[in-house]
Amino acid sequence: MPDITPAMRALRLGVAGPVGTGKSSLIATVCRSLADELRLGVITNDIYTDEDARFLRSAGVLEPERIRAVETGACPHTAIRDDITTNLLAAEDLERDFAPLDVVLIESGGDNLTATFSPALVDAQIFVLDVAGGGDVARKGGPGIGRADLLVVNKTDLAPYVGVDVPQMVADASAAREGRAVLALSRSDAASVAALRAWVLSVLDSHRSGTHVPQDPGPMAPHFHADEEHPDGGFVHSHGKSEDAHHSKAPHDEHVHSHTGI
Amino acid sequence: MQPSPQTISLLLADARLPSGGHAQSSGVEPALLAGMPVTDVPAFLRARARTTGMVDAGTAVLARHAALDCLPAAPIERAWAARTPSRAIRDASKDLGRGLLRLAGQIWSDVRSSLADLDDSPPRPLVLGAIAAHTGMDAESLVRLTVYDDIACAVAALLKLEPGDPAHGVAMVLEACASIEPRVAAVSSITAAHQIPAAGAPQAEAWAEAHALTTRRLFRA
Repeated sequence: MPDITPAMRALRLGVAGPVGTGKSSLIATVCRSLADELRLGVITNDIYTDEDARFLRSAGVLEPERIRAVETGACPHTAIRDDITTNLLAAEDLERDFAPLDVVLIESGGDNLTATFSPALVDAQIFVLDVAGGGDVARKGGPGIGRADLLVVNKTDLAPYVGVDVPQMVADASAAREGRAVLALSRSDAASVAALRAWVLSVLDSHRSGTHVPQDPGPMAPHFHADEEHPDGGFVHSHGKSEDAHHSKAPHDEHVHSHTGI
Repeated sequence: MQPSPQTISLLLADARLPSGGHAQSSGVEPALLAGMPVTDVPAFLRARARTTGMVDAGTAVLARHAALDCLPAAPIERAWAARTPSRAIRDASKDLGRGLLRLAGQIWSDVRSSLADLDDSPPRPLVLGAIAAHTGMDAESLVRLTVYDDIACAVAALLKLEPGDPAHGVAMVLEACASIEPRVAAVSSITAAHQIPAAGAPQAEAWAEAHALTTRRLFRA
């Protein structure tokens, strides 16, 4: 509700990224590594089913009641950016029903490279890529890759099988992000899981001390909607206001917490 | 300077209003999942406008009166609930009302106080009525808004469920809205709860109840 300041409530942490890059798995990893010391809740934004919520419930990392699914009306980027009402209400309910919570993880429906969370919904966001999607994706950039609080290059254990040079992909991503945090992650690599855990804890500390400022990676770039009835097979549209308005609102220079140590 | 009531009406009817409507289908997804042919959608929309649409419109008109006269909203909510027997449909309306109130409360603080005797999830028509009272919207505009918003939501969802020519969708919205014009004056002038229309739609209610139990859906209801 409007009269609750961000620092008083749970940290809301968004997890976005293309389909199949391991968002649900990353959330399960975070829950597994932090459930003993933090009170966690999860909201999933599925497109056709509550499959992500069911996956997380069956993973046994949290009580099933702490994992909730919301419908997105076939438009996952709307639900996390243009009209965040459904997710906000779900977050408020979860925080009320299990008060006090430390962190609410909000998983975006798998979407394209340009979907990012509104800063009015989440305090910080992770963008997830994976090595199997191709080593060059990080170079392509986009608001999530460029300016999410953390970029995760996931499934590094698969790199030898898909011919991706992980250090090069991380270096490309770091360059695209002008030095913002990048984490090469594999759930079977304990050191990388520990680094992810440390990052979440550092953001939570910044959130509680009031020094963390939610940033806005930026509006969606024009993108393609498939429509078989359309003569061109679909149509391109864009969201959000002008680039100027966005840049004056949330310059990333104001982003104050430290990512050192990863 | 205050915006014109007509501007408020346009604002509330705009699908881009960030109040959670994009996750709703006004009963269309429940109907299609239950096997209703897509060719029946225009008739479905007319029936919806005539039944739940009129219940909601009458409820909104009374909520407007109550907010203007500082009367309690709870009896109106009870009258609406008695005319909305499906829990799934009531829950969907309360989700929409909650999202709308969350937004409206930040812009017109009096709206929340007009609904203070309800919980934080009033049904959509009660919130619309309270907004109308505090923004100077007349009762007839409120009736048309209440129906239009519901039908336009249905057609926006239809285009995602059954891809088709969006222009046909626009024609369906206009047809369903036009079909209730003969009722607008009467519904706009009601002043007591027992005058709220009580037309039911049992088949659509049964579809909504079944839909609430499925795990494969794009829309909340």
